Amino acid sequence: MRLTRSILFAAGLLGSILAAQAAGAPAVGAAAPDFSLTTLDGKSFSLAQAAQSHKAVVVMFIATKCPYSNAYNDRMRDMSAAYEKQGILFVGINSNKTEPAEEVASHAKQHGFGFPLMKDPSNKVADLYGAGHTPEIFVVDPQGKLIYHGRIDENYEDATKVTSPDLKNALDQLLAGKPIVKAETKAFGCSIKRV
Amino acid sequence: MKDYLSPGLAKRSKGAAWAAFFLAFESIAGAQASRLAGEVDARGLHDIVTRQKARVVLVNFWATWCVPCREEFPDLVRLEKTLRPKGLAIVGVSTDFAKEMPAVETFLAKMNPGFPNYHKKAGGDDQDFINAVDKAWGGELPFSVLYDGTGKKIKTLSGKYTYKDYEREIAAVLK
Repeated sequence: MRLTRSILFAAGLLGSILAAQAAGAPAVGAAAPDFSLTTLDGKSFSLAQAAQSHKAVVVMFIATKCPYSNAYNDRMRDMSAAYEKQGILFVGINSNKTEPAEEVASHAKQHGFGFPLMKDPSNKVADLYGAGHTPEIFVVDPQGKLIYHGRIDENYEDATKVTSPDLKNALDQLLAGKPIVKAETKAFGCSIKRV
Repeated sequence: MKDYLSPGLAKRSKGAAWAAFFLAFESIAGAQASRLAGEVDARGLHDIVTRQKARVVLVNFWATWCVPCREEFPDLVRLEKTLRPKGLAIVGVSTDFAKEMPAVETFLAKMNPGFPNYHKKAGGDDQDFINAVDKAWGGELPFSVLYDGTGKKIKTLSGKYTYKDYEREIAAVLK
């Protein structure tokens, strides 16, 4: 009887954990789930280690075929290059089961991405973060805390007409030691094609 | 006027007049043939939902560039035909870019849905629209919301669903 109760409790606990994971992204201000992946060029990447050695890590869930994600290719390339000089690391994660590593590498080359890119086998990292679509951004501070979640900006169609550069504002505020005013934002995007 | 023209020129002139007439007719017919029911913002969408006079209303947000949206759309067309007598109404909302309206028209012409489809009103911040539809919606597409006959939100469905999945979710509301 006791054993049965223990099994039921364990099953219930596991169910709660899985439900919590499926429920959505970690809250801004909470600990960002740690993860390790291998980059497309074969290096190991650990979020915890990267966060400790940078002023922030910008984790971008991106895609090769999503028009919304592709609308931001140049902006992601330029921002990563600009903020790298200021100690902020950008990384790209592709969790789409429909986009193999070779395609991700070729897409990165075509668009001149200088940031590390990783495939997320079985979309485990996307599940950990409750990432639903591309492009979706999570910013992690050196203490491993999630400090921003959302979009790059509000204008996918025209980078020259952006009125709300939300990610840039968040990073600039972080670098200036100021509180992030708008730490959660939203935009349309393509669902991550999960396994 | 034709008196002043040579017979050949008069013939060509008459031809040009007919061509102009057909072009104008085609233009008017083309404008009238839009498969979209109009533009909609979040408040307008809620009014549309309550006007459906159905037992359950499924609002589906889609875009032509969204592959899973395109994949599930034929199931929605079939679902509406099958479950309309039982009280289902479907409303589609395209979130396509303004420049993609020809693709939206072509897609709807091909799908031939028996339910109305609107285009999300241009301008404004998409975030406001997304939050007004559902605070927990991250903006991923496809996305659907089930309402009861009074316009009360019952459930949200994120991502692509199969015909059977939709049927099960709708049956639970119709019960």
